[in-house]
Amino acid sequence: MPIELTDIARLAQILERSGVDTIEIEEPGQSLKLVVDTDPRMAASPTLIVPDADHSVIAKADIAGHFLAAHPWRDQPFVVPGQRIEAGEIVGLVKIGLLYSPIVAPAAGTVDAVIVEPGATVGYATPIVRIRPIN
Amino acid sequence: MIEILSVTGPASVQDLGRFDQYRFGVGTSGAMDDVALRAGNILLGNDENAAGIEIPMLPFKLRFGRDMAFALTGADVEAEIAGRVIPPWWRSHVGTGDILTVKTMPRGARLYLTVGGGIDVPMVLGSRSTQFRGEFGGWHGRPLQPGDVLPCAASSATIGELGIEPAGTTLARPNAAADETIVRVVIAGEYDGFDAATQTLFWSSSWKITPQSNRYGYRLQGPAVKPKAPIEKRSHGIVPGVIQIPPNGQPIIQMRDAQTSGGYPKIATVIRADLWRVGQARLGGKLRFEQTAYTDALAAEAEMSAYLERLRTNVRLVEETRTCR
Repeated sequence: MPIELTDIARLAQILERSGVDTIEIEEPGQSLKLVVDTDPRMAASPTLIVPDADHSVIAKADIAGHFLAAHPWRDQPFVVPGQRIEAGEIVGLVKIGLLYSPIVAPAAGTVDAVIVEPGATVGYATPIVRIRPIN
Repeated sequence: MIEILSVTGPASVQDLGRFDQYRFGVGTSGAMDDVALRAGNILLGNDENAAGIEIPMLPFKLRFGRDMAFALTGADVEAEIAGRVIPPWWRSHVGTGDILTVKTMPRGARLYLTVGGGIDVPMVLGSRSTQFRGEFGGWHGRPLQPGDVLPCAASSATIGELGIEPAGTTLARPNAAADETIVRVVIAGEYDGFDAATQTLFWSSSWKITPQSNRYGYRLQGPAVKPKAPIEKRSHGIVPGVIQIPPNGQPIIQMRDAQTSGGYPKIATVIRADLWRVGQARLGGKLRFEQTAYTDALAAEAEMSAYLERLRTNVRLVEETRTCR
């Protein structure tokens, strides 16, 4: 039985909750090792580093999975650069198993860039969309 | 509670159906797309049999009378709540007085609106489904009208926005053209009353869904399929999904509000795992029948159950993950 992303997320969660810091699973054809990093400096985003030079705000993933720029039933992505958006508006989805978890704009503004490629694996707090806020 | 502001066509309150009264001639009723209704209820943490509103035509507009969670599943629609666009197969929450507007239906034929706790109409003969034929159940046994105020059961959960993969995506069938729905059927009692050429015609034709298609049944149009000799049977029990051939040779698929008995010869029966696909097939669209063995029909049903089971597990997982933070 293949190990699904949802299984990994769940395992990670169980480890964190129960205070166990490592698990290794080996099966014919696959192996999985999870290490919980308890160092607070490392706890944030494991992926992209976003320049903080300007006053941009970042819409982040709040769950691990695959980034979708558009709903599978739609041709158009949720947002494109230059688009005006409101706070709370959906800017993309994280697909985890059969679920689509929304990535929402933390503030109103103009979409500056969609940082992540569609289909890419993202983690908790991965920056997804950079927004130039309207002051 | 929710108040219907505008409605087009026969929208109705439906749960999964009324299954214990068949022997008294009371049909099942229930959601034409039961997979979509279940999915909406799973998203909301409801009992999967909780009643929702089946909406076959647009536009449709309603007002929420209090804070509550709701979900839209089934047909693909353009929907807005308080100015926010709602993606397909999605759950969201609303405040008192928020208005849901559903404008167009680019895909599918029936939208399901489910609410946290379910639409709380009385159980009649074991179900909350509207029985159009007998005019009972649901909301006063009739289609919804503007001004109707439907009670909603109390729901404790406060939940965030979440979408799910539509059943049509997960359970996609190979070789399906955009405007043609392929449904799997098993042959029925009078199949052998048709000669080989006619049987072939039945399988190879692309059947047009006529405007005389609704919750009672789908009337199809195509080449005449007639038995070797006229078959006249006494009325006998039939179930939703049965495909009858009346004397004009134009098939009728019996659906959720069908009579419980009939006398026309039966050529085939849509398998239970594909009945929702018929429910989402649009008027004017095409249907094609694919012959399936009984064991494959069971396998298809297992595949449908596996989809729903994955939904349950995934929703539970995400709920736990979000609660952790």
